[in-house]
Amino acid sequence: MTISELLSQYGEKYIQALLTTWQLTALSFAGALVIGIIITVMRVCPIKPLRIFGDLYVQIFRNIPGASLLIVLVYALPNLNIILSYYQCVLTATTMIPAAFCSEYLMSGIDAIGIGQIEAARSLGMTFGTMMRKVVIPQAVRFSVLPMTNLLIATMLTTSLASQVPLNPKDLTGLVSYINTRDVGGVTSFLISSIMYCGTAVIIGQIGSFIDKKVRIIR
Amino acid sequence: MNEQRTVRDALYEQPDAGTRKKITLVTVVSLFAIAVFMLYILKLFKDNGQFDEKYWSFFMRLTTWKFIGEGLLGTIEASLLAGVLALLIGFVFMVMRISFYKPLNMAGTALTEFTRGVPTLLFIYFFFLYVPKMGINLPSIWRVSLPVAISASGMVAEVLRSGVNAVPKGQREAALSIGMRETMVFTKIIFPQAIRYVIPALVSDLVIVVKDTTFSYIVNFPDLMQNAKVLISNYDALLSVYLMAAVIYVLINYFLNKVSVTLAKRGGMVPVVGR
Repeated sequence: MTISELLSQYGEKYIQALLTTWQLTALSFAGALVIGIIITVMRVCPIKPLRIFGDLYVQIFRNIPGASLLIVLVYALPNLNIILSYYQCVLTATTMIPAAFCSEYLMSGIDAIGIGQIEAARSLGMTFGTMMRKVVIPQAVRFSVLPMTNLLIATMLTTSLASQVPLNPKDLTGLVSYINTRDVGGVTSFLISSIMYCGTAVIIGQIGSFIDKKVRIIR
Repeated sequence: MNEQRTVRDALYEQPDAGTRKKITLVTVVSLFAIAVFMLYILKLFKDNGQFDEKYWSFFMRLTTWKFIGEGLLGTIEASLLAGVLALLIGFVFMVMRISFYKPLNMAGTALTEFTRGVPTLLFIYFFFLYVPKMGINLPSIWRVSLPVAISASGMVAEVLRSGVNAVPKGQREAALSIGMRETMVFTKIIFPQAIRYVIPALVSDLVIVVKDTTFSYIVNFPDLMQNAKVLISNYDALLSVYLMAAVIYVLINYFLNKVSVTLAKRGGMVPVVGR
């Protein structure tokens, strides 16, 4: 198909698919941030069982393949009488996995602060709360801008899992496979989707490095 | 002697008696909460008959594990092939990107960014739906390994480049000043060191490759996931088999991450957490 044929026939669907991908990405990323922060708090708190739980969560979800998790959610959970819609399944998978990575990034942000600063803060007589608010969290957040940018891009790539279940409207990957199974979409059909993905990634990357330049701590 | 102290341990002072009591209390409460959560899951399994013998007994048979092992072998094969291909393609991208010839440099940057910004599944569908229509019939392992490799190549190129950048600049200048050519400097001095720096990062990138090969079921390549599906249709046991497959994947990748961290401790750069 030529590009004009493709656009006249599927143009609207491409826009819809782009919006679906964006929506999935935004929702998953927001969820991943919330869960990631909760898990990180668990991992740094002095309560042993919570630490272990947090570590276990991260090890499981940073190592499980997206397809494997999605298949468990879609096909296996109904056997436990937990029935989620396809959209909910995809959203759960694309939230749980980035959440683990989010926690890993935050932890390495905290580790990057260094023990010396913590000890210095304490020897100045700061309470735990003050130290967290004035020393740990501001730096950890600044350190994590670039990793979070990468996480957002990775989340967008993960949302392509949506193509593995019947969804309406489809995401960018799902739409391409739909076009090419019933039609001869050709290279162009793939190129349109990939440019949309890449464009989004580039925009996210630009915004991320802009913010990073503003807040970076130069040492 | 004692384990290396991390920031998360340094955050707290030595607790006094009152705090210790509080910590013990919260520990007990949290243990209780986790236990309730576990019991709830077990109850879900039990109420829906998922502990029935028919769902688990076939894991006692040797043939089941032989079949899973075959699938695992498929996964390893596909991952290794994809890993080697990704290394080759990534190397080419990296060399393009660090070359002094402007158009080549720009093409290298564009290719790296493109492969990093497009999901693996799109590449897989390209090789599954489009390439055969051009009359090119790849064997099924290539249909999964090649797209997975292309998808990882941009990442590998960046890792290699970071290794090249980590080699001190003075070495290149010194080598040039004793009359070595740029190509020779790169192949004899810079790259051998760079590759050593980035081995941990490359191993951790292998985790992403292993994860991406799970899409083998799209092209019907018999990997772990595909064989799990066959087991399911044989024994009519969805949950147990899919859970087992997930556990195996998690263990493989956990092991790879551990290897990567161990290698990083022996020298080389600490790998960045992947995706």
